[in-house]
Amino acid sequence: MDDKTNALREHVKGIFSNLELVLGWEPGYDPLHTRPFYVRTESDIDRLTANCLSFQNLTRYLAKSMNAVDPAADGRKIGVCVKGCDSRSLVALIQEKFVSRDRVYVIGLPCRGTLDARRIRALVPDPARIRSVNAEGDELVVETDRGISRFALDRAIARKCLQCRYPNPVIHDVLIGDPVTPRLKIDAENPSVAAVEALSLEDRLLFWENQLDRCIRCFACRNACPLCVCQNHCIMETRMPKWITQYRNMNEKFMFHMIHALHLAGRCTECGECERVCPVGIPVALIKEKINAIIYEMLDYESGIDPEAVPPLLTFSPKETGI
Amino acid sequence: MSSKSDAKQEREIKIVGFLCNWCSYGGADTAGVCRFRQPTDLRIIRIPCTGRIDPLMIVKSLIQGADGVLVSGCHPNDCHYAVGNFYARRRMEVLKRFLPYMGFQSDRFRYTWVSASEGQIWQQVVTDFSETIHRLGPNPGLHQTVDSAPAVSWF
Ligand code: SF4
Ligand code: SF4
Ligand code: FES
Repeated sequence: MDDKTNALREHVKGIFSNLELVLGWEPGYDPLHTRPFYVRTESDIDRLTANCLSFQNLTRYLAKSMNAVDPAADGRKIGVCVKGCDSRSLVALIQEKFVSRDRVYVIGLPCRGTLDARRIRALVPDPARIRSVNAEGDELVVETDRGISRFALDRAIARKCLQCRYPNPVIHDVLIGDPVTPRLKIDAENPSVAAVEALSLEDRLLFWENQLDRCIRCFACRNACPLCVCQNHCIMETRMPKWITQYRNMNEKFMFHMIHALHLAGRCTECGECERVCPVGIPVALIKEKINAIIYEMLDYESGIDPEAVPPLLTFSPKETGI
Repeated sequence: MSSKSDAKQEREIKIVGFLCNWCSYGGADTAGVCRFRQPTDLRIIRIPCTGRIDPLMIVKSLIQGADGVLVSGCHPNDCHYAVGNFYARRRMEVLKRFLPYMGFQSDRFRYTWVSASEGQIWQQVVTDFSETIHRLGPNPGLHQTVDSAPAVSWF
């Protein structure tokens, strides 16, 4: 996303009196990071940032950390900044009644991609020297203490962004900046899923085993997911029922990821947070992307688009045959 | 999945059958009462309705080494609880199409609809599925360690 910091601050200043708080981002501990930020007072507004480092999907906090269902006594709303992908998570949360539309004031930010810290490190071998990074048009401008270098933006942004079909927020109360052109058409094939499918069945098993073998079951992927809403009831941790054990073998790791993927079937909006937060670089979202492709093909459904739609595995149609 | 040693070939095939109490479980019973010959590989777990099926039960069975998983319930429109099998049908079809992506043989999982009176059909279904699984051989399960794996590059 191009730098929208100033426009965002201006807008928030104008409406802040009607809001309880605003979920946004602020600069992080180094020039490669931002962090989630709750704007609670007028003076916080000048800490807000919105740029190619605004990767966190803030809708996660709506469902898991605050009551976004019941209206506030004074009628004030929760402001939330969303990129295209984040807006779909928000719609999914509205569909499932974890958030009510009236409770939130949605600040939409059209986005051309967020950076992937791993890919940046490959481009800039000495990240400690980085002073700033900025997306300008199709270029990423990196300022280090040796000077300024420019890279094609596509070499630095996240996998999910390279195949983004919804860069413009699907719901919003205000849009900061002009809409951008999607990289992929809505019905285009998912190129990463196709790459996995090009392997033979045996190789696919080896590919996934090799990836999942690294999993340390830190649950970061689950915790970052806005739609993993079960909290204390998550079956990864309950002993009753006992779906997975503490044993550190392939069966348990595989089972963990099958649970995560199947619990998101028909719900995952491909925000890619699971993949971004994984400390060992497992392409976690890639598992869910295939399920999304199946559901799109089979039931012509995409999650997080229509707030009125019922997620497809929570409903049925008696007429459908041949499945 | 991959290599099958001779020892593995010889071990007994085990198929997990999740059968709806109201139809297919009765169908299996009818087949028994009528003395239709049936393969002995099936281990039946009675469920109240296919609406009870969590696709993870199928996944877990396969990961833990079941050679096949058969789910059978009432015909669509005949579910004792009216709609349980409509929910199940979508969920199982998604799973069936998803399994090969992860490297599982989707032929090891089948779902079907058999009523309580269809003893003969039950015999055919279970015989056919058992033959399929015998052709595939025992489920080798997951590799516990991976020495070399194919690389995939997306962009
Ligand atoms: S599973 Fe991953 S990609 Fe899907 S909604 Fe959750 S965090 Fe986003
Ligand atoms: S974030 Fe990565 S390592 Fe942690 S549980 Fe998820 S896949 Fe495993
Ligand atoms: S009661 Fe048999 S499938 Fe629902």
